[in-house]
Amino acid sequence: MEFAIFFLFAAVAVIFALVVVLHRNPVVGALSLVASFFALAVMYVLLEAPFLAALQVIVYAGAIMVLFLFVIMLLNLQHVAEPVTRPVQQFLGYTTSAFFGIGLVYYLSKYAVFNALPEGPFHADARTIGIKLFESYVFPFEMVSILLLAAIVGALTLSAKSVGRPGASESGAEAR
Amino acid sequence: MAFDTTDILLSVLKIAIILGLWLNVTPIMVWVERRGSALIQDRPGPNRVGPFGLLQSFADALKFIMKEDIVPAQAHKWLYTLAPTFGLLPALTTIAVVPWGRGFLIPEMSLFGRRLFEGGRWFEPVIANVGAGILVIFALASLGVYGITIAGWSSANKYSMFGAIRASAQMISYELSLTLAAVSALLVAGSLRLTDVVAHQTGYFILFDTIKLPAWNIFSPGMWLSFIVFSVSAFAETNRLPFDFAEAEAELVAGYHTEYSSMKFALFFMAEYMAMATMSAVVTTLYLGGWDIPWYNEPPTFLGFLLSFLAFLVKVGILMFIFVWVRWTIPRLKYDILMRIGWKVFLPMAIVNIVIVAAFIAAGWL
Repeated sequence: MEFAIFFLFAAVAVIFALVVVLHRNPVVGALSLVASFFALAVMYVLLEAPFLAALQVIVYAGAIMVLFLFVIMLLNLQHVAEPVTRPVQQFLGYTTSAFFGIGLVYYLSKYAVFNALPEGPFHADARTIGIKLFESYVFPFEMVSILLLAAIVGALTLSAKSVGRPGASESGAEAR
Repeated sequence: MAFDTTDILLSVLKIAIILGLWLNVTPIMVWVERRGSALIQDRPGPNRVGPFGLLQSFADALKFIMKEDIVPAQAHKWLYTLAPTFGLLPALTTIAVVPWGRGFLIPEMSLFGRRLFEGGRWFEPVIANVGAGILVIFALASLGVYGITIAGWSSANKYSMFGAIRASAQMISYELSLTLAAVSALLVAGSLRLTDVVAHQTGYFILFDTIKLPAWNIFSPGMWLSFIVFSVSAFAETNRLPFDFAEAEAELVAGYHTEYSSMKFALFFMAEYMAMATMSAVVTTLYLGGWDIPWYNEPPTFLGFLLSFLAFLVKVGILMFIFVWVRWTIPRLKYDILMRIGWKVFLPMAIVNIVIVAAFIAAGWL
């Protein structure tokens, strides 16, 4: 039973991941990414970690919504089939990723150790993860928050051209 | 986890009860909405089909089924068809983790001389009592906005597209404050599990050694900010009137479902009312004591379960009437106001409330 569910959702995850890469329509790609992450969340449920599963959906599905916005707003969605303009680059891209994939599978099959899980109860609830995160891993945790802050500041500096310019519509609305 | 037939049957029974209730929410609420709006606007409202127009919803349903189902030529066929289901899915599934009554012990029963189970069975009236509790609600609810966005995008209509963009921008601005507001209630209970959240609210606060108040979160002063933030964000979450920018019939024809007709449109309609019911149930669970009856200690029997279930339904019903009341009282806000409120008012309020609650807990008052 558990096995059947695992293989069903593993297949779903892989198929949708392929759709993300291969489909021409960016909106369909973004949606397939949601489906793929959702199938991944089912894996966490099978590992008896529903907390991680819920976080997986909240964090990633929520983030993809932003991606969606960018796709809809920034790309003009005229259905034009783009011709292959750079054959050399395309060939290089395909071969490199193929070699990378083969190498990854080879490395995993050779060096990965498929041990049985350690004995004892498996804890992946909010309390355990919180304590781990804020005791053992508090430094990387804070580093990540600084990284994200830097990303936000960077995005603001790149996008907010109108700030400070007199007569800009945004600052005018804010002044009121 | 070990299951036996009894557990599976009980789960099926619970799902049947809740699904039956939630599917009936739409016709009932359509009637309440129409009659309620008529009451507020001082006109009779639908009163031709059945007594008090009670059968109006069935007439509406029949109309939906008989209408022609149109798919625009320019639409993305697959996504256009899938979108209403995406909208309905979270509305139907999130209720699974909300407890709707006091648990009770089912005594030993026998059927046709065969004993069904040994020595009684504890019946917990919640479909899935998972440890991640409220996070499951937020996870599935965050998928709800995809229904609207996909519908708007795949219709290939500029008004639908505007509705879709508004829905996603709206979601980004309120969802953070919604989640952070709920954190306060979870902090007090010390658990993400919603049965624990309700169990924590079953006692009393005693004021000045004389007045007994139910220990609901809404009666504790540390919770008022978060209650305000959560309940207002709930209106945004369900796309109800002060915040229904994705639909905004005065500006966008009908917003994201402009092109939809027949049962596909009816699914959006159902999703809206079911999401309303679910959000009411969540507000009830987090702030209004869930199934707790004030000043009454429900016995852990079948009677106690029935009474508490009734209390839960009454609370949800009252909240849903408030949803209708607000819709016909407050006009639609301007589109950027929700964003400004979400980021500049509600987010700080929710964070301040978390600090207050944490300080209360540290001082041992809660």
